[in-house]
Amino acid sequence: MTEQQKTLETALPTDVHFKKNYLLRLNITRALIYIFLAILLVITIIPVWILLVNATRSTVEIQQGISLLPSRYLLSNYGILLSKGLDLPLGFTNSLIIALSTTVITVYFSMLTAYGIVVYNFKGKKFFYNSIILLVMIPMQLSIIGFYQWMSKLGLDDNYLSLILPSIASAGSVFFCKQYLDSIVIHDLIDAGRIDGASELGIFHRIMLPIATPGMFTLGIFAFVASWNNFFNAFILITTRDKYTLPMLVQTLRGDVYRHEYGAIYLGLAASLVPIIIIYFLFSRYIVNGISMGAVKE
Amino acid sequence: MFSAKIVKNYYGYLFIAPFIIGFLIFGLYPVYNTLSLSFTDATLMRATSKFVGLQNFQRLFADSTFFTAVRNTWALWLMNFIPQIGIALLLSVWFTNTQLKIKGGGLWRMMFYMPNLMMQSAVAALFFSLFSFYGPVNQFLVRADFLPEAIDYIRSPAVMRGLVVFIQWWLWFGQTTILLMAAMTSISVAIYEAATVDGASTFQMFRFITLPLIKPVMLYVLVTSLVGGMQLFDIPFLLTDGRGSPANSILTSNIMMYMRFRSSQGHIGAASSVGVMVFIMTTFVALLLFYALRDKHEHAS
Repeated sequence: MTEQQKTLETALPTDVHFKKNYLLRLNITRALIYIFLAILLVITIIPVWILLVNATRSTVEIQQGISLLPSRYLLSNYGILLSKGLDLPLGFTNSLIIALSTTVITVYFSMLTAYGIVVYNFKGKKFFYNSIILLVMIPMQLSIIGFYQWMSKLGLDDNYLSLILPSIASAGSVFFCKQYLDSIVIHDLIDAGRIDGASELGIFHRIMLPIATPGMFTLGIFAFVASWNNFFNAFILITTRDKYTLPMLVQTLRGDVYRHEYGAIYLGLAASLVPIIIIYFLFSRYIVNGISMGAVKE
Repeated sequence: MFSAKIVKNYYGYLFIAPFIIGFLIFGLYPVYNTLSLSFTDATLMRATSKFVGLQNFQRLFADSTFFTAVRNTWALWLMNFIPQIGIALLLSVWFTNTQLKIKGGGLWRMMFYMPNLMMQSAVAALFFSLFSFYGPVNQFLVRADFLPEAIDYIRSPAVMRGLVVFIQWWLWFGQTTILLMAAMTSISVAIYEAATVDGASTFQMFRFITLPLIKPVMLYVLVTSLVGGMQLFDIPFLLTDGRGSPANSILTSNIMMYMRFRSSQGHIGAASSVGVMVFIMTTFVALLLFYALRDKHEHAS
């Protein structure tokens, strides 16, 4: 203690100089970091930006060179897409139906399961919860072939139910809900509900779910985006052209039909990204906070 | 009151029942079904199939493309994971550093995370267009005189491999940054203050305080990234012709499984054997990592 104080006192004149030097170095470091961040930002944004801009440019313009400013061929590009038989609105509706159903089922059943773990002390609970943590780490998607054949036997192949129903048992979401409920469940409130004569399910529906709305919303966004973007499962299970989801339609844009119709291709791609970009800018706070909620114990 | 609670606890089974039923039907049975299919010569064209023992696996091990696919999957994952965790560590140290006081931390983070939400099939098609022969990348490089003439990127194994790695990195570095930042901000400032008083350097604080304390989250990132990386499909599948071209350079195990599945006969038995092998490999490595790193952590604390 004394030694530090002494050096501070005796070195007072030079200390000002030292501090100046230190500040200068800090500022240079800071400037370099900002430059690095700016470069990273450009890398992050530019591909998406070019995509959005090109969706509004004609094929001739696109072939002439890169532009970072939009043009006015959005509608004519859309006309080309339609004339080539790409039913964007249908794909959009299909994806929306699947994503919304998946979201509702994921959120409701994950909350139900997590509530059961958090509130009740039943035999085998620890084993059950540990299995869920284990399931998060196991690549279940690799059983897709067996899943496909099993769904065909049940008559559910080429049916949206085979994409929606598996979300009843979503281990990652249960894990998220468990972490979340741990921090917000008030056991006295549940007991109060019991004294008032509410049933156990009634307490869950009428007391717990309203309190858990923020967490449900966060989980809902993730479930929606994951389902909206899911390509592999739909690609394996859905075969009828009219049932194609948006990611599957996007994949057909690579085909020969659209050769050299660059504006239309970019528009088709943009249409599948824009809803997600809008959702992100509206709810980024929920999303960014939600990412770490499952992984980091506060 | 006490006895009432005991009785109520049975309701726990009611609440977890839908999950268990859903898991048995849509999770566990498909795994079992995939495993049993892998021992048969089942195809999509025939109604019956017969047990062929380990034949599918023998053929798989005799097929050098399988090893190429597995090697590619590992290489593509490692090559994107290392820079991903590196950049994420750098960014999260900068954003959480109290001396640097980087402005707009939340906004940077938000922008860096955005690619992660993009539809991967659209992203693959986008980069395919950007790097096509007459695409913007060639236009830019040729017009700015960086290149004498346009390059056919799609036919270059090295470029395509690099592109898959880059896209994967682009998709995931923001998410990893957010996770590591959350872990770092949950570390008590008092620990760093104490270390500063003891005269620790910035690097020492990083090495001996930050790294050990963010280890659980690093483990989470590592395991989830590995499990996802072993199933890499959308980007390499849609970037070229869906067969891992050029020269099998971006053929991953999942693409190989898909190719068996959509072969003219639909060899689901053979396709299952690929799934089973990757399943076993991934689960084994994930669990190994989990236990190895978790035990060390418990010793340390």
